[in-house]
Amino acid sequence: MSLSLDATQLDRYSRHIILDEVGPEGQGRLLESDALVIGAGGLGAPVIQYLAAAGVGTIGIVDDDVVERSNLQRQVIHADADVGEPKVESARRYVEALNPDVDVETHESRLDAPNARELLAGRDVVVDCSDNFRTRYLVNDAARLESVPVAHGAIYKFEGQATTLLPEGPCYRCLFPEAPEPGTVPDCASTGVLGVLPGTVGCIQATEAVKVLLDSGDPLAGRMLFYDAMEMTFETVEYARNPDCPVCGDDAIETMEGIDYSGGFAIQAD
Amino acid sequence: MEWKLFADLAELAGDRTVPVAADPGDTVGDALDALLADRPDLRDRVLEDGDLADHINLLRNGQNVIHQDGLATELEAGDELALFPPVSGG
Repeated sequence: MSLSLDATQLDRYSRHIILDEVGPEGQGRLLESDALVIGAGGLGAPVIQYLAAAGVGTIGIVDDDVVERSNLQRQVIHADADVGEPKVESARRYVEALNPDVDVETHESRLDAPNARELLAGRDVVVDCSDNFRTRYLVNDAARLESVPVAHGAIYKFEGQATTLLPEGPCYRCLFPEAPEPGTVPDCASTGVLGVLPGTVGCIQATEAVKVLLDSGDPLAGRMLFYDAMEMTFETVEYARNPDCPVCGDDAIETMEGIDYSGGFAIQAD
Repeated sequence: MEWKLFADLAELAGDRTVPVAADPGDTVGDALDALLADRPDLRDRVLEDGDLADHINLLRNGQNVIHQDGLATELEAGDELALFPPVSGG
């Protein structure tokens, strides 16, 4: 490890450094890491908090929304004074106040087919904190093409799902080849969401992201974790790589061109 | 036999768990038919052209039945069945 920690860093990260599983090498690794967080909302807020606190050296944040007062019940990096501000700018200020070791790279735009691969390319980990199926399928497909791991999390009212998509493991489409038709599953704005829920699920995603960056522990790969806040239960279900998966199966895609991300995002066989 | 339902499927069904009359020797498909007969609001949400929709996963004892015999998989005593959809909120 070429990077050596200065006295302030030895202090700041001391609880990491004394862990055998992290140590100065692991902390150095985090400081040299580049993570992309897609969405600075309910899930993105705790992810950004913990990655920044952990000293992940570069954090890219993609979001095209502005902070609304109705976000503040769960999006804990944004404050009342940030209402009306772009979420990426509010997030940047939060991180800069927390940890000067972190470089924040903001992308005030929507992840879309033309820019997805470019945004994901070369990242050490991508954390999918988006709030819609379209972005989730774009992230999955682009990450697979760029061989980038994804810490996936998604929420619905009182329930969460989390899984980690490693380049060599099954992808999101192995489990869900296509999305439900738009309008089938209602979104947070119309259903409501328990404010703490994305905190729990986002913290699981942040945990997975840090493990991926440290290359330590057993990732949540090939396993979908179900969290039910009301019943306070966690269940994991294993899933395997699907040989018929349109993205990573035997007849894998080589490009995102030609995939229609407007409906169910189906990939038609040639 | 009992079904466990996740996310909006539980809401459409009105319950997170739904017992159905299906016995060892019946198939997973029989148990699904019994569920949909009992909770008809689920039918259009989980079926597509008469088959299970691509984005709905059907688990028997925590294993996806596509790795078994699909809807023709035979049930055994004590089996746990579950249906889950993807969710997208963030």
